Amino acid sequence: MSSACPPQSPAVAKTEVLVDDCCPVLAATFAYWDNILGPRVRHIWAPKSQGLLLLSDGEVTFLANHTLNGEILRSAESGAVDVKFFVLAEKGVIIVSLIFDGELKGDKNTCALSIILPQSELSFYLPLHAVCVERLKHVIRKGRICMQKGYNIISMLSSEIVPIMELLTSMKKHSVPEEVDLKDTVLNDDDIGDSCHEDFLHKAISSHLQTCGCSMVVGSNPEKVNKIVLTLCLFLTPAERKCSRLCHPDGSFKYDTGLFVQGLLKDSTGSFVFPYRQVLYSPYPTTHIDVDINTVKQMPPCHEHTYHQRRYMRAELSALWKAASEDDFSSDNLINAQDSYTPDLNIFQDVMHKDTLVKSFIDEVFLLKPGLSLRSVYLSHFLLLLHRKALTLLRYIEDETQKGKKPFRSLRNLKTDLDLTVEGDLNIIMAMAEKLRAGLHSFVFGKSFLTSVQERDLLINF
Amino acid sequence: MIGSPDVVAFTKEDDFGDSFSDPLSLPDEFSVPLFTHAANANPWTKTSYAKFSKDFILISEFSEQVGPQPLLTIPSDPKVCGTFDLNYFSLRIMSVDYQASFVGHPPGSNYPKLNFVEDSKVVLGDSKEGAFAYVHHLTLYDLEARGFVRPFCMAYISADERKIMQQFQELSSEFSKASECLKSGNRKAFANELEKKLKDLEYTRSVLHKETELQKMNNGCYSTQAIEKANELANVEKSIYEHKDLLRQITSYPSRRKRDVDFVQCEAEKPPVMDETLKDTNPSDSAENTVETESRKSSYTPQLIKAKSAKCFDKRLKTLEELCDTSFFLQTLEQLNAVEKSFRGDLCFIYTSQIDRALVSKQRVTSFLFEAEHDWEDGGASKNFSIPSNNPTIPILNFSGEPLSLDSYTTCIDVDHLKPGVESGEGPPESSTSDITQETSEAADTETKGSFSSDKSIEALGSVSPSSLQTNFFDGLERRSKISIPSYSDNASSSIAVPHRRSDGNLVQMDAACCIGQDGFIFEDPLPELAQECCGDTVVNQEPLSLLHGDPALQMDYILEESPNMGLTFSELNTSVLSEEVAKINIEDVFDRTSFMSISTSSDRAVSPFTYGSALTVKQKKKAGHSALRFIRQYPFAQQAISCLLSGRTLVILGVDEGTVRKLVNALFIFVPNLGKYGETVQPWLSTPFQLTDLQRWKLIGLQRAVSPAGSSILHSLNRYSRYISILDCDNKTLRCPPYKGTLISHLADHRTQIKRGSTYFLHIQGMLTQLTAKAFLYTFCHHIHLPMDINDQGSVTSRRTNFLLQLGYTVEESKIIQYLSELIKQHYIHGSAKVGNPSFSFNYTTSYLYKI
Repeated sequence: MSSACPPQSPAVAKTEVLVDDCCPVLAATFAYWDNILGPRVRHIWAPKSQGLLLLSDGEVTFLANHTLNGEILRSAESGAVDVKFFVLAEKGVIIVSLIFDGELKGDKNTCALSIILPQSELSFYLPLHAVCVERLKHVIRKGRICMQKGYNIISMLSSEIVPIMELLTSMKKHSVPEEVDLKDTVLNDDDIGDSCHEDFLHKAISSHLQTCGCSMVVGSNPEKVNKIVLTLCLFLTPAERKCSRLCHPDGSFKYDTGLFVQGLLKDSTGSFVFPYRQVLYSPYPTTHIDVDINTVKQMPPCHEHTYHQRRYMRAELSALWKAASEDDFSSDNLINAQDSYTPDLNIFQDVMHKDTLVKSFIDEVFLLKPGLSLRSVYLSHFLLLLHRKALTLLRYIEDETQKGKKPFRSLRNLKTDLDLTVEGDLNIIMAMAEKLRAGLHSFVFGKSFLTSVQERDLLINF
Repeated sequence: MIGSPDVVAFTKEDDFGDSFSDPLSLPDEFSVPLFTHAANANPWTKTSYAKFSKDFILISEFSEQVGPQPLLTIPSDPKVCGTFDLNYFSLRIMSVDYQASFVGHPPGSNYPKLNFVEDSKVVLGDSKEGAFAYVHHLTLYDLEARGFVRPFCMAYISADERKIMQQFQELSSEFSKASECLKSGNRKAFANELEKKLKDLEYTRSVLHKETELQKMNNGCYSTQAIEKANELANVEKSIYEHKDLLRQITSYPSRRKRDVDFVQCEAEKPPVMDETLKDTNPSDSAENTVETESRKSSYTPQLIKAKSAKCFDKRLKTLEELCDTSFFLQTLEQLNAVEKSFRGDLCFIYTSQIDRALVSKQRVTSFLFEAEHDWEDGGASKNFSIPSNNPTIPILNFSGEPLSLDSYTTCIDVDHLKPGVESGEGPPESSTSDITQETSEAADTETKGSFSSDKSIEALGSVSPSSLQTNFFDGLERRSKISIPSYSDNASSSIAVPHRRSDGNLVQMDAACCIGQDGFIFEDPLPELAQECCGDTVVNQEPLSLLHGDPALQMDYILEESPNMGLTFSELNTSVLSEEVAKINIEDVFDRTSFMSISTSSDRAVSPFTYGSALTVKQKKKAGHSALRFIRQYPFAQQAISCLLSGRTLVILGVDEGTVRKLVNALFIFVPNLGKYGETVQPWLSTPFQLTDLQRWKLIGLQRAVSPAGSSILHSLNRYSRYISILDCDNKTLRCPPYKGTLISHLADHRTQIKRGSTYFLHIQGMLTQLTAKAFLYTFCHHIHLPMDINDQGSVTSRRTNFLLQLGYTVEESKIIQYLSELIKQHYIHGSAKVGNPSFSFNYTTSYLYKI
């Protein structure tokens, strides 16, 4: 195929990414539409794998150019990032391409940031698609500012492409399996309390469900951490489990934004550096579980989490916009440079609301004999109940508001009619409904939260 | 992506961080909005910007004459597309050749080559149009097209980007099937076209060959025309070779092995062609050509190909249907219609349905209770179990042949059949196959014992001794003591005094000796002096109700007191029989009339339609939810009615109007556990009396009220079976059933609910029934509450079970529901199917109340 592609002139710059293991990504490319020469590849990132490269530079360039074809007449909203996804069976690859407006060489043009994987990795990649896209979108936002200011975009893009390659590499071997065996979890214990305190388990699962199934499990013992990780993953869908990760025994894994459940190890001194920014950029609020001291803490609900996230994003982008030189682009400097916003580092709080759904489930599941399939069947009943209640709640709100055309004012009736009078139960079902219909929390609770924020800001200004 | 948070225009009113204008402030296009639409963001807005009303499928072609163009949409209703610009979107999705593969004449080769190009799949969107699409690119072959290639694509277009990406694997799988169908038809059509072309070419070659020879013969030397003819002949032969090669390529596709035969035929034809070119002209060759021509004419008339035939832009290209075989094309359309239907609607419903299906598949033990879609498994054990229950009926039929006797006998058998269920409940939650076999054998043994006992009871008819009567009574008492379910007694006080007493008398006597009691009841009617005996029976019958709740010692006293009275009654009965033979003749007439009615009832049951159960469609669910929602709002005793259904007590809906009755049946059938694959536990409309055997399989019955002799019979059967059923009278708006207290069904059917739509209420019911099923599963398989300490420790087991249910928060009435569902689970778990060989029958001696609106 190289002979079919004309050689690039000048040669395309290339960055070899060092990864510890076999990386499923073939390459990543940054291409743009040159107004004179047509689609051009500006940069290639390729993992430096132990084996031979599956694609030559020419093939990578050809594929990247190919994905940019058809975008010459693009007429999207200003600042929009469009996602295209290709499965080119003829080439045996899948390509994820994010199309956005940029400015190179002083001209407005259309740019594309693409990731290329083998077609055989399709089922592996699909559950992780949303994670990769959201992270790439954010780095594109920062990259567009770099281009606008005339700075080098490649180093900015590298700051996210390399971690994504590392993430996908780690997920190949340490992803939670699609079906979790109950025998590998604490639910297989003879009695509750055998391996963890009863109240701790209840709080962990309850908070896990209240935060849309998004949790980070931290500890010193990898076996214990992974056991809790697998236990929490029982309450996820198979696709969400494939978007969760066990901890690595050597503690080399860092927190990755966008995963549902991930296990992390403390260092040899027993401390854990909290990844504030990455946790805040998670699409859902997160539960923090420390298996060493049996503590469970959670972030605020979705509507509050979204507010804090966006506020921090705006601060970060604004600081980048005001940066005087490229040297100020590091994350630490960004935070310090923004005087008007002081992030609240104490974003985790105790679990405030009790529930009856998880409490009853835990009490009852341990009445069944372990080692058989009885507990698995009972768990499937519980999950089915949660999903059906979530769909019913969503439908209830749709009926009340005519699909969002009217404000929702019947929260009390909803609690009574759907048997969700306990606050924790409502939070669990709302969290599951949020995953079905993004923005539901903001729709139901956002107005009152906005009012409280305005009042607080007014008091501060006063 | 207008609805995407990334591109929503940010209004300054929401900017709390920058309260004043700053020249260095970050422009909106480089930032993210702090709030989405000022906290009133509509989660449903993202799908409302589209110019089309709902998702659809678009088939487009990259025409070599006019460029990308839409061909058809599924569904074809123009309203679906609305103002959406199909031409623009066709251009958008087909602006690039995603196959990226060379077809036609590859470089360095003089002959065309077909590449069987793999399909490409693309997800892309147009934020301006509010449309996102899964696009499936495929290539079809057309002999008249440039490079023999016609690129097409099928696109699933939706306003919801998440839907496309989340369902990518499913969409890809379904569209690949449709694509393969199209391509199969195309290969077939392409091969046929090639064969016709070859026949034309061969015919043309023969004509040219003749003309060439004619030219030579006429002039004796090669002329200019002869040379031209020779060149044309050479070109035709080259075309023949090329087309044969194409045919070989198209027929060598791996999945089309049938074409190998054609391939062999093509190979066989090659040598004669080459030989002919080398041979001189002679009459025998001409004759051979003539034979070939005649053989081809039988199937297809070859056409002469003009020398200067060339493609031009005015030529009409084949339609998609012509490109593919018609049957393949229609099949593809059917597949695409099915795809459109399966992905119709909100993503949240599709996604939740997929999750539900996966979870329900793990609940083989319990999914038969309330889940609509599942496969029954008829195990051999259940079939074997059904055989013993047929044997006991043979001696009875030979002995008397009387339907009433059969009914009475069935009552005894039903009581006996409760034993296997109770015994199996005492065993471990899971058992091996051998254990199941052993239990089946034990059940058969029990059946045999029951049969023997019944025979013994029947033999008592020939004996007049009071001691025999007393023995039968003790047998009945012993049998009743083994039943774990509380006994039932109808204590309705609004009935007429005399029929009430007679009914009570019947009840007591049946308990003592079923057949004898029935006969005694009949003989009491025509004799005036027996009325005083009825009064006497009334006095006696006052005691059993109170004694049932008293000490066992008092029950013994009751037995002693009962014995002399029963003896006296029997003696008088015997005297009456001996002295009045005319009365006996009248009784026989009654029997005959009953037999006729039984036959009529059987034929009526045979034609009843099965409209329930199986897979419920979305509309049926919506209708069922709507009916149920109306029911709980209109009838304040809805909870009591639902409690009856959930606890296995048959509910009879009585009314004059069939439509009204059916509506109520439709409102309540979703609460019937173990509905059955064909809804065989529901009888929506019955105009003849039902029998006791019908109560074993029907849990919800719509019954006609008629002012006629048949109506009287219906009322009679209702009175006879009042202990087994609850009656919802839709004409008088009343319900007669045991009381219900608790919160379980209050959450399920609250008449003050604010749920607006039936489909939403159906979802709510489904969730609550799922929770109920989980509790029943827990109760069934919770190991420690069912294990007795020792053989004689049955009371302890009962106590533990009761306490277990109380700890779960259930009232006495709610515990009955759990226990009934648990019994069904056990039967299904042991026998594999709750329908075959499951004559389990239960009744409760519980006071019924009359509820009114």
